[in-house]
Amino acid sequence: MKKFLSNFRFKKLVESKIFFPLIALAIILLFDLIVIPGFFKLEMKQGHLYGSFIDVLRNSVPIMILAIGMTLVIATGGIDISVGATMAIASSVACILINPTIIGLKLSQDISSLVGNSTYSFTPLWLVILVPLIVASLCGLWNGVLVTYGKIQPMVATLILMIAGRGIAQLITNAIKIIIFNDTYAYIGNGWIILPFSLYIAAFIFAIAWLITRKTSIGLFIEAVGANSRSSFFAGINAKRVKLFTYVFCGFCAGVAALVVSSSIRTSDANQIGLYMELDAILAVIFGGTSMDGGRFSLLASMIGALVIQATSTSTLALGVPASAIIAVKALVVVIVIILYSQQVQGFLRKIFGTNKQKEVKE
Amino acid sequence: MMTRFGLAISKNRKFLPLAATIFLFIIAYSFGAFSYAGMRDPQAFFTLFIITPFLLISAIGETFVVFTGGIDLSVSGVVALTATASAALLQAGVNPWIVFGLMLIMGMTLGAVMGTFIAYLKVHPWIATIAGMWFARGMCYIISDSEIRIYDPLYKLLAGTKILIPGLADVVTKKGAYITPLVVLSMTIFIIALFVAHFTKFGRTIYAIGGNGGANEQSARLMGLPVDRTKILVYTVNGLCSALAGIAYSIYVGSGHGSHATGFEMTVIAAVVIGGTMLTGGEGYMFGTLFGVLTTALIQMIIQFNGKLSSWWTSIAIGVLTLAFIGIQSLLVNINAKKISPTKLTDSDAAARKKKTALYGGIAAVVIIASSLIFYFVDKNAKNTAAANPTPTVTNCQLKPFRNDLAKQFIADGAVITYERNGGMDCIDELSALYPDGRIVSDNGTEKKEKTVTPDQINKVLTDINNMEWFTDNMYSTYHKPCDQCFHYNTTVVYQGKSKTVEAVDGGTDAPSEYWIMSGEITQLVPVFSK
Repeated sequence: MKKFLSNFRFKKLVESKIFFPLIALAIILLFDLIVIPGFFKLEMKQGHLYGSFIDVLRNSVPIMILAIGMTLVIATGGIDISVGATMAIASSVACILINPTIIGLKLSQDISSLVGNSTYSFTPLWLVILVPLIVASLCGLWNGVLVTYGKIQPMVATLILMIAGRGIAQLITNAIKIIIFNDTYAYIGNGWIILPFSLYIAAFIFAIAWLITRKTSIGLFIEAVGANSRSSFFAGINAKRVKLFTYVFCGFCAGVAALVVSSSIRTSDANQIGLYMELDAILAVIFGGTSMDGGRFSLLASMIGALVIQATSTSTLALGVPASAIIAVKALVVVIVIILYSQQVQGFLRKIFGTNKQKEVKE
Repeated sequence: MMTRFGLAISKNRKFLPLAATIFLFIIAYSFGAFSYAGMRDPQAFFTLFIITPFLLISAIGETFVVFTGGIDLSVSGVVALTATASAALLQAGVNPWIVFGLMLIMGMTLGAVMGTFIAYLKVHPWIATIAGMWFARGMCYIISDSEIRIYDPLYKLLAGTKILIPGLADVVTKKGAYITPLVVLSMTIFIIALFVAHFTKFGRTIYAIGGNGGANEQSARLMGLPVDRTKILVYTVNGLCSALAGIAYSIYVGSGHGSHATGFEMTVIAAVVIGGTMLTGGEGYMFGTLFGVLTTALIQMIIQFNGKLSSWWTSIAIGVLTLAFIGIQSLLVNINAKKISPTKLTDSDAAARKKKTALYGGIAAVVIIASSLIFYFVDKNAKNTAAANPTPTVTNCQLKPFRNDLAKQFIADGAVITYERNGGMDCIDELSALYPDGRIVSDNGTEKKEKTVTPDQINKVLTDINNMEWFTDNMYSTYHKPCDQCFHYNTTVVYQGKSKTVEAVDGGTDAPSEYWIMSGEITQLVPVFSK
């Protein structure tokens, strides 16, 4: 009886969505433990917790936040490839609100007195936070309207904003990298309360998303729409509204990620902020086992997926591979993952563990 | 008359996106020719081809992939990898023809691997090709962290040869309209692609696989068409095209580096979409792709000729155009779907259609109003900035004339090269004179700087410049009104009793590629002014 119980639990773990991402994370961390000395060493300095592992956590925050929004979009069978461009727009808006003088608007202040002024912000800070989030949500709304009411393929619909987005961001800032001196704003990405402050933001967004999807019926609706849009329609679910919600939420998440990134690097670089970030986010979701065709999703698994991606980058960097060549390593990781997740290998694994149950409700 | 016209349209509705593309191109070109005298020159039309051979080759391959309902994002990576790898091989002294062969094999292998992943492991094309792109880009940096220049004579020949257009050019003086060998290459590939897409079994299979949200692929399989094999072949063909585009790119740019062609895949996809091909697959024409490519090049050209608009307007304009074409197509698809469904149009359907029309109209109106508002404010801002005391980082540079008198003075003084660089973000105006004894004098208008290098270095630059065929017709002035924040150059070289001045503009795509090698060599020598 006891043996049966432990066996059953193991099966359940294998079936759960976080199993594969956890294994992947474990492999990478094990690798780090052996190859990179002092990877898990933690230090307390002035009340801050420092260490390579904390760095991994801190750097993966933007991907994590994006992955949360992206999970919901992908779960409905959609995709949003414009999050990187949305981040560029949102961060540009934030920086322009802090210091609009730079684009040549005629304001009374003398620019030279503002340089290095760590308290100056033209707009009240709560607006600096709020307006970019609204703008990012509007970008999401635009994508959502195109997908749901325009009936355009999600990838194509979001491609438009992806192409035009960086242009718009450059338009907002006049293609100037605005340097932010405001310390309160910089706290979002650089602050510490024992752990990095941005980590709490990621946790907060995760908590919101988890509450919305698991404590209300919206999560169920999302899975239903993704699994079978037509039958969910017959079940009385307003698929359009559900999809629209996910795109707006994804835009909102991109806005939060933009605030974190732009405040941590203290500038708004329309060309670089969020570049290729959408790919990282999509990859994190796929690591998390959410099918690109939609259906069941796990937010936690996506978060672990984001950690896996960042841990890979950090450990390759620690090995001395040049930063620009990391993407080649990432590509290899992607290849390994897609082979692991392919039906052939999954079928093989199922045979080994003796479970014949279909893992996902796809068809 | 109107009914017959309407009938013709409804019968040939599938040609509508293609017709729209061609119509748009003609309208935009007429607008350009009307507004800017430079575009009335026939050479301006051929320049559209000269600046886009790699884009056209790449877009052809991408069109095949899109026909099957897939997408290939690896093009930019493969282009960069081809440029870097071929530059590295050439540096190692490998014969350029062998390099070409190796690069084509490499591109096809990468494409075939991605195709296998997509066809057999059922990986989403998006994921598989992103992995391909990352891999290729990463490999570039592993090959070399810094830019590798290409000095191969064959590359120089291919980049510099002018093929004069009969009737529009004078054979004796070698002046007038011309194209480059790369244009001939890209047009040849285009004609082959036209044939393959529309007149072969392979082409028909490609069309049969794409479209209808994957349902067509199922039908094709049931019909016994070799779906998997065709898919792999399509990605292989695109790999081949990307490698060819990479070779064309490296010939055009004259160097290889991992950061080359960033974001190129999006331009390619936009060009395919603007060409009237549906991203869901199964519909579109290879012919449209040519006009898609030309239209994107035309947008760039108009913005360059305008000179007042900043470069980012290109990406916004291309985005808006992509949106418009996707809108047209999804409208057409919806109408077709209604026509096929057996139920009659009821009142509620009619109301729904009205609603949809209103929605599309609304979106279009919002886009137009928003963009014109932005346009208006930017224009106003620019004027405001110019009027109210401008900050140095913001203003666009006021065009200053070249200081030819000072240059002449230097030459009379014994200088062999005078090199003036003007404009840019910080609005500089630096005039340097290089003397045969290694002395370099630079003047930026307010202060003078002197520096001494070895006479050998000066000599090397001089021989290099002479080897670039500076004193032949291959080096010619291409001065026009530059874009904001662009540099403009004025270089005079005196060598063995000959003297010649050549002017060029940064961001201008028409200057001979050797000019930039020359400016790079000189920039390394001249003293640097602090800002």
